Amino acid sequence: MQYEIESWNGYLQKEIERMTSKNAVVIFSKNTCCMCHAIKRLMCGMGVDPTVYECDDHNLTWQHTLFSLLGNSSSSSLLVVFSGGKLVGSIDSIMVAHINDILVPLLKEAGALWL
Amino acid sequence: MASQGIGETGLTDSGPSSHSHHNHNMPYAVYRGINPASTSFINQESSGFDFGELEEAFVLQGFKISNDEAKASLYAAAAATGKPAATLEMFPSWPMRFQQTPREKSKSREESTDSGSLSSRVQPHLEPESPISRKASSDHQQNQLHITHKSQEQQQQLQNMASNNPRTGGLQTELAASKSNSEKKKGAASTSERVLDPKTLRRLAQNREAAKKSRIRKKAYVQQLETSRMRLSQLEQELQRASSQGIFLGGGTTAGSNISSGAAIFDMEYSRWLDDDQRHMSELRTALQAHLSDGDLRLIVDGYIAHYDEIFCLKGVAAKSDVFHLITGMWTTPAERCFLWMGGFRPSELIKMLIGQLDPLTEQQVVGIYSLQQSSQQAEDALSQGLEQLQQSLIDTIATASLHDGMHHMALALGKLSNLEGFVRQADNLRQQTLHQLHRILTVRQAARCFLVIGEYYGRLRALSSLWLSRPRETLIVDDNSCQTITGLQMTQINVTCQAKSSEGANRTMPHVK
Repeated sequence: MQYEIESWNGYLQKEIERMTSKNAVVIFSKNTCCMCHAIKRLMCGMGVDPTVYECDDHNLTWQHTLFSLLGNSSSSSLLVVFSGGKLVGSIDSIMVAHINDILVPLLKEAGALWL
Repeated sequence: MASQGIGETGLTDSGPSSHSHHNHNMPYAVYRGINPASTSFINQESSGFDFGELEEAFVLQGFKISNDEAKASLYAAAAATGKPAATLEMFPSWPMRFQQTPREKSKSREESTDSGSLSSRVQPHLEPESPISRKASSDHQQNQLHITHKSQEQQQQLQNMASNNPRTGGLQTELAASKSNSEKKKGAASTSERVLDPKTLRRLAQNREAAKKSRIRKKAYVQQLETSRMRLSQLEQELQRASSQGIFLGGGTTAGSNISSGAAIFDMEYSRWLDDDQRHMSELRTALQAHLSDGDLRLIVDGYIAHYDEIFCLKGVAAKSDVFHLITGMWTTPAERCFLWMGGFRPSELIKMLIGQLDPLTEQQVVGIYSLQQSSQQAEDALSQGLEQLQQSLIDTIATASLHDGMHHMALALGKLSNLEGFVRQADNLRQQTLHQLHRILTVRQAARCFLVIGEYYGRLRALSSLWLSRPRETLIVDDNSCQTITGLQMTQINVTCQAKSSEGANRTMPHVK
């Protein structure tokens, strides 16, 4: 069983890599998450059009993989943001980056913003 | 068990779990017996007892039982249980355990003279320490084992204190010396005559912290009791008045203070934080006036930032136990509450307020601050919209709850409600980051002025609330023959009085009152 999960993990990792490389900004979230809505609003407000993949409650392997990406995140909401194929983090990281004026350059670098 | 078995709420790390340990024998719960539960509580704290802190608590008088009645009943209760000695010997007995008995005599002599005032003052502070004291006679051994493995250094400290100063003198100097936070460390240092290694110092500091936290929890609980008692007496008064005058008095009392223990603890810690805030601000003020060097100023400003970090941390903890208390702003003053955003201040508004007060700024700084304002505005909007989405989703869930699967929907709704904590946390995160970014953009001197401005602004806002609450209210009572302007705060009482004073010609819907 452990082996299965690990192999799934490996597969999912590859999938994630594939998905995040296709678009400038990719957001993974759970479909019931309201924080995701907040992030989407933030992005759209800045002129970014993020690609959002929502995984539902039943898809535990996806959730498990995504959580593991965040490390030991204590937040209950599952939200992972990738920019330019690189992991930015959860909503905490996004907020911090935004306030510290790091997010916009990051997005520009990823090609999500042009101005 | 020799303990009186009085329980207290909110004195363990997790509020709910503490309730099972309680045993309310007395109206004013002060002590708690050592039972396995409270032992584990102590273990949880993973600290011993900082006797330095305890003695300092004697004179700190930060907490007083607010009325004599309470003191009287405490004594009565103590006497009633047949263990007055436990109250009085609290102090003498407890150092005794680590020292030889000869000291007991001098201590008990000393204690008995000012036991009256001391005990009552001290009791609320004693939660971590009192179990020890109460076990003076019986579980001596248990305590020793319990204590010694935890606090060898306190023992030494105490011995030092006791042996080097006459007890009274030691106490007094200790207490006088340790009045404030910054002096607490001095106090500890002055007691230990010998050099303590860093590990011991660290443990001492940790113990102090734990003792501090326990004191706060104790304060919170007693404050809750006090409030309930006051409310009860208020209700009784009103009921009496109502029954004697046949008037229905409803809703006149202050809103029920049924606050949870988590909220009470937070309120207590917040008021302590406010006191700290005052101290930091005066430090900043004197530092700016004294034109200290940038290095020194930087230390003070960093200290202030850490002070703010502390409240955000506390809010995070409180959000876990009672998010509604934070989000409804019951911890703030009314004026602050009115303009509350997601359980605190709105960062963009703060920056707007600051922009005019921070001159002179370089162009780069101006750009930075405006950009910060814009970012925080965007983040705030995003979070607000997220919250709206949550509200909408919640409404939908509750609205569609039917007879058949009502429970399921309620469970769903509960799950959604738990997201509130995340929003408050993100909002606090935003506030914290905004302050940090401000600190980065400004020079040290500008930052010092900036934080002073912020502190003063909120101080004034809080003062405004108090002024508003205590403003004299004028009411115009019109009846058939006369207009009377009455000044007072108790509207019901005024109404009754006016009815009494009104002439016979007035229409009376209520029975005539004297």
